[in-house]
Amino acid sequence: MTRPIVQVLLQASVTLLLTALATAQQEVTAYTNAHILPGGKPTISNATMVVSGGKILALGGADVKVPDGAKVIDCKGMTITPGLIDASFQSSNNQQDLNEQSEEVTPHLRILDNIDPEDPLFRRARNNGVTAVHIMPGTRNVIGGLGCVIKTYGSDPKSMVIKADASMRIVMGAEPSNGNRAIRGGRVNSMYYRRPTSRMGVIWSVRRAFYDAKEALTKTQGAPGDAPPSPGTQIMMQVLQGKLTAVTTARSEQDLRTALRIAEEFGYETVIDEAQDAYMVADELAKKNAVVMLGAPSAETISGSAAQDGSAPRSGTVAVLASKGIRFVITTGTNPSALPLIREAMFAHRFGLGPQLALDAITIEPAKLLGLDDRIGSLATGKDADFVIWSHNPLDPAAVAVSVHINGMSVSQPR
Amino acid sequence: MQILMKRRTTGALLFTALCTAHLCPTQLSAQDVLVQASKIVVAYGEGSTAATVLTDSALLLRDGKIAFVGADIPAEARRAARVVDYGKATISPGFVLAATTLGRDADLAEGALAFTPDLRAAEAFDPWQKELAQLATAGVTSFGLAPSPRNVAGGIGALAKAGKKQGRIETAEAFVGFSLTRAARSQERMPTSLMGALEMLRDSFKTARVGVQVGPDLAVLRQVMSGQRRALIHADTFAELNGALDLAKNFNFAPVIIGARDADKVMAKLAERGVGVVLAPLNPKARIADLELPKKLAKAGVPFCFAGRPDQLRFSAALAVRYGLDRNVANAALTRTPANLIGALTTVGSLRQGCGADFVVFEGDLLDLGSRHVATWVDGENLHGESPAGAKTSQTTNSAGGR
Repeated sequence: MTRPIVQVLLQASVTLLLTALATAQQEVTAYTNAHILPGGKPTISNATMVVSGGKILALGGADVKVPDGAKVIDCKGMTITPGLIDASFQSSNNQQDLNEQSEEVTPHLRILDNIDPEDPLFRRARNNGVTAVHIMPGTRNVIGGLGCVIKTYGSDPKSMVIKADASMRIVMGAEPSNGNRAIRGGRVNSMYYRRPTSRMGVIWSVRRAFYDAKEALTKTQGAPGDAPPSPGTQIMMQVLQGKLTAVTTARSEQDLRTALRIAEEFGYETVIDEAQDAYMVADELAKKNAVVMLGAPSAETISGSAAQDGSAPRSGTVAVLASKGIRFVITTGTNPSALPLIREAMFAHRFGLGPQLALDAITIEPAKLLGLDDRIGSLATGKDADFVIWSHNPLDPAAVAVSVHINGMSVSQPR
Repeated sequence: MQILMKRRTTGALLFTALCTAHLCPTQLSAQDVLVQASKIVVAYGEGSTAATVLTDSALLLRDGKIAFVGADIPAEARRAARVVDYGKATISPGFVLAATTLGRDADLAEGALAFTPDLRAAEAFDPWQKELAQLATAGVTSFGLAPSPRNVAGGIGALAKAGKKQGRIETAEAFVGFSLTRAARSQERMPTSLMGALEMLRDSFKTARVGVQVGPDLAVLRQVMSGQRRALIHADTFAELNGALDLAKNFNFAPVIIGARDADKVMAKLAERGVGVVLAPLNPKARIADLELPKKLAKAGVPFCFAGRPDQLRFSAALAVRYGLDRNVANAALTRTPANLIGALTTVGSLRQGCGADFVVFEGDLLDLGSRHVATWVDGENLHGESPAGAKTSQTTNSAGGR
């Protein structure tokens, strides 16, 4: 008689314990009555989104059932979007560490080594609704190195990383040769007496690096006993094999054409970054199916060291790219006069881009470009719970991010 | 009287030297010294270990080392020794300055290359340099002569001491110095950036690990990976610290971090991986969060000490106590912990039998800045302050003369 009672008690306590553990790990929150712009799909009105364990459990209209015991947050009058993704984000203000300047071609160096989770620029981005960023090395090297995609919140770069080796940056134009000098007699007392000193020289460096990688590729296939290629060449080889995305930073018309030409010459695909003069080469971009990361479309001028590239930014570029069917994303990029990402999209909308396209260009499109659309950039069941609750439609100038969530957790500071 | 004593001592020493050299080479060494005080701290505790303190006791110094401590001193040796009595004062182990270039930065950074792990700091040591004189005045009895933080892999550091006339190297190869700080990222040679510096180290460690035949530079990295040599890495910002800790984890060694300004942000990793820290000297004008860093390190169980100018050590420890650090830990941070962090625990940092006869004498508590610093002894010699002759313990010997 006593045994069954003990058993029942034991079972009950085990069940209770398990339930307690499960709730601690999987607290369920439901956001109801919201206007949801899920990214890449039509708007859902009077929507409910259920979040648990850092993922989205369910998303839909008022018919979505709120699970028992869920914490309910009424978002009446507010708009929810996916967390914004800045596909070209400058992390720290410390220019010196953005490039390893002892060489012009450093494909294997990782900007991830430079990440400080407490960088105030992450906090600023977060408070403006940006939950993931693609960070690349700076623009002072011809081939700067490897970019990474990280979330904008965490205590350790490792926990923030979504994709460690996401891209390799190539830079066209005047910036990489800026500061290099030719030897014309006299004392040579600096390592900056070196090639390239001209735009032609920059392109020579790119060609040389790809040539070496191409040769190394044929060698490794031919003779297995050869010494392994240098770490930099190995990265270049991955680009040639289509395993790693090349991002070419080019602003003026001539640099844009060069970027496309070199890619064709060596047979790799490249994303075009910054691309202020893209409206002038729209047909070529369309023909090559190139993807464009447009830097700060709101800016009428370029300030900083990129100003000398001689590009002429136009507010109408976004509309031109859209009309030609060119895939593009909006970024803050290298222009110091860039606005917060959401404001860049707002200006793009103002200059003729449809609201859905404007928002997609900072959410689902960058996610696709970075190969991470299975996790971020849109709101759907099973995706990361990275989202922003806005006071108004985010493209409204009055909109502010009321709360920003990464992996379901609120990470924005109260205003 | 004192002049007379000095002369007599010199005479005795000369005599002893002659004996050693010519007359009786095996019999005699310099005369033993019996140092007495009402309180002798043999070693400060570290972590859960308590300090070892003797009351109304003595140390017997022989050949520059602690030959016997307290009750272990044989009666015969006690009778024969010259007595120095510090009365009511406290004798503590001398301070250890974990890492310094002692103002000789130019000689301790090979400017042409950033990767020079096999260079030896001991070979840039000038035993007559005037900076050595400041050490005893500040209570510092030994120091880690470290390569300058201007090189990513600077070289092998030494353990050195000041002396009555000239300094000397105690251990020529004590640790290896690395640096990821801004100082190491010159604009005129590789690397110019943190990512370049980290890649340089990762690549070198990788080659050292897999290479069949490695040169003398990579051989040093192998010694670091096998635990034969302690690695001291200069790192301040989060990214530098995180890079250093990841490097150490990947290549399986526990480093000591020098600087560690942002240690607070990587505290859990420091504690979990048994990493020690050499802090920059504390500045009373610093933010309170920085002044409380020693307390936080102690709470997390991370061993730490201070570096900087010799005269900043005691002040930094006192300031750390002012901002919440336990006194016992602060005392250890001046003596035992730095000795441990540079791998010299068996030779310096405490007054155990066999250690160097390096000690300081204070009237009152070491960490009370009002306490008078009475004397500093290094290798059994009084380099700073007073050396009061004590009452003879036996009538059969002469306090100043020979046996």
